[in-house]
Amino acid sequence: MPKTSWSLAFRLTAWYTIASLLLLLASTGTLYWALVANLERDATLFLADKVHVITTLLRERPNDWDGLKEEIQLESAARRYNQFYMRLLDAHGNTLLETLQMSLVLPAASFERLSKGATQIKSTRASLYQATEVIAPVGGTQGVNWKIQIAVSLAQQQQVLARYRQWLWAILSASFILCPLVGYQIARRGIRPVRYVAETAKRIGSSTLNERIQSEGYPIELADLALTFNAMLDRLKESFERLTRFSADLAHELRTPVNNIRGEIEVALARSRTTHEYREVLVSNLEETVRLSELIGSLLFLARTESPGTHIKREVVSMSELLESVRDYYEGPADQAGVALAVSAPHGLQAMLDRSLIQRALGNLVSNALAHTPSGGRIDLSAGQSSAGVEICVSDSGCGIPQESLPRLFDRFYRVDQARSQQQSGGFGLGLSIVRGIMLLHGGQVQIVSELGKGTRVTLLSQAFEPPFESPAEGLSDKNVILA
Amino acid sequence: MKILVVDDEAKTARFLRKGLREAGFVVDVAGDGEEAIHLAGELPFDLIVLDVMIPKADGWQVLVTLRGHGIETPILLLTAKDAVADRVKGFELGADDYLVKPFAFSELLARVKSLLKRSPVRQQEKLRVADLEIDLVRHRAVRSGHRVDLTAKEFVLLTFLVRRASEVLSRTMIAEEVWDMNFDSDTNVVDVNVRRLRSKVDDPFPRKLIKTVRGVGYVINGEDM
Repeated sequence: MPKTSWSLAFRLTAWYTIASLLLLLASTGTLYWALVANLERDATLFLADKVHVITTLLRERPNDWDGLKEEIQLESAARRYNQFYMRLLDAHGNTLLETLQMSLVLPAASFERLSKGATQIKSTRASLYQATEVIAPVGGTQGVNWKIQIAVSLAQQQQVLARYRQWLWAILSASFILCPLVGYQIARRGIRPVRYVAETAKRIGSSTLNERIQSEGYPIELADLALTFNAMLDRLKESFERLTRFSADLAHELRTPVNNIRGEIEVALARSRTTHEYREVLVSNLEETVRLSELIGSLLFLARTESPGTHIKREVVSMSELLESVRDYYEGPADQAGVALAVSAPHGLQAMLDRSLIQRALGNLVSNALAHTPSGGRIDLSAGQSSAGVEICVSDSGCGIPQESLPRLFDRFYRVDQARSQQQSGGFGLGLSIVRGIMLLHGGQVQIVSELGKGTRVTLLSQAFEPPFESPAEGLSDKNVILA
Repeated sequence: MKILVVDDEAKTARFLRKGLREAGFVVDVAGDGEEAIHLAGELPFDLIVLDVMIPKADGWQVLVTLRGHGIETPILLLTAKDAVADRVKGFELGADDYLVKPFAFSELLARVKSLLKRSPVRQQEKLRVADLEIDLVRHRAVRSGHRVDLTAKEFVLLTFLVRRASEVLSRTMIAEEVWDMNFDSDTNVVDVNVRRLRSKVDDPFPRKLIKTVRGVGYVINGEDM
């Protein structure tokens, strides 16, 4: 089942609304309840007060009939608000005194409900009264107990409560409409920066990678998001430029041989030639296609080193043996160039790596070093244990690499000396990219340190170079140990 | 010697057939996997050159089917993918050799020949090309009665060339065989080494034995170009 995804503004609004309505409901409810309790307490106190007056009168001055009459009949009858009724009954239940017309409104029988625990009774006209019944001893005489019935009208209270309830409903209904509206506005304001970020992101295409989100004026969370987003754009832009440059360089590298092949064939076919001339053209074409094949091979190799699924065939390799095999291979060219090629590796140092891949990487490095080291110079191949694993170094006493070229060294088709054409250098400018690709496959990295006029030192480092078993660190082989 | 070439690329199939025929083989061509399985089941071939990317049944399927039927004809795989995993897969499924496109025809030819004479080679003590003689036991090369002074690697290089006399050997093959370098970058190294070998083997003598085949590699033979 696909999960419905509501807009952020909608969700925020819904939560605001629900939360504020609940709060409002709780607070108004509490207030209402407090009001009800307060009013009830007022009535109870009023009744208690009256009862106290009458019982005191009966106890202190039982014969003051006028006083009783005054209290019971007249005072209550004179009241317009908070109207109350009072009745005095003797021990047999006969009415002695009562507020005028009380028997019409609240006959003695209507007080019977009180004995069942109620505090409120209804009049004959169905309005609500708070009532109480008290037994009062008369004049302190033992055994003579009269009964006081007293009730106060709740009509006014109920009016107050009814008005209050009306207000509550009005406020609640208004909130029910206003909360979502206000909430939605707040949510919209709150997420406006997000929308802006999204809009900027939408605007950015391959040709507008320069656009950035301004990170000022945003809340912290969004400023962070904007910065992250900008950093991502920087990286994207960089790889995009790299890719564009790569395509352009690739096209250029392909154009030269293809152009040669095409031109030579066209010229050859323009008129009839001797077998020897045809042969020359074919051979020349063959050379160009060999170059193309090499280029394709190198590019495929690079593509493979970058695909995450590529596996390498690791085996236990002795470092000194590995370096010597590379030295053997390059000895001839080094000799011819008048460059000393030396190997130094701790005896017995071993590592798990793909032998032919590392040979290839080292081959590229030595070949570069040879091309940039003048006669009389030297190239050192060395291996050693580092804190991370094993490191292999190729250092030369050559011309070095200018500082500004260092960041681009690993770019495909990049040549430090752009003027040096591929025919002269013999390479495509893919060598170091391949070296890095090989080290990536091994989970390692390449480090280049160079000083103009002094030489270059390339170090292949990898944690994955960990030797499979303890190798004796002592006893550096004394042959070929030359330190520059 | 009968060879079956399996490739759906018409041009590739054509130059393979032509090249192999001119090298003295009888060649049949199959354009897809099913045809290849059918032909290999019907006729006795000495070798199958099998492209991996072919229609109907791919090279792997052909390989498995043929080996499943008990056909043990040597198979040389051709592929556009140079992945180590592919190479290993090929050998595991029963292929005998492996070549990545684009390849040098001379290299294909050399591999075909070496597959066909994989049967035990009699260990020779001496090899000879024209007036050059190599004594494998004593590690010595002699030309016209004069001893040629060679380094160990130069001796291995010369022996390799002489063993495959009259076969054009690519720089990659030479690097692989002599220095155990299984990659084809910077083949200029081979040129330097061959030049140094020449300076000892050919320079002092009027007749040159080691020849450069432009765009392909080197060959040693007694014929004059």
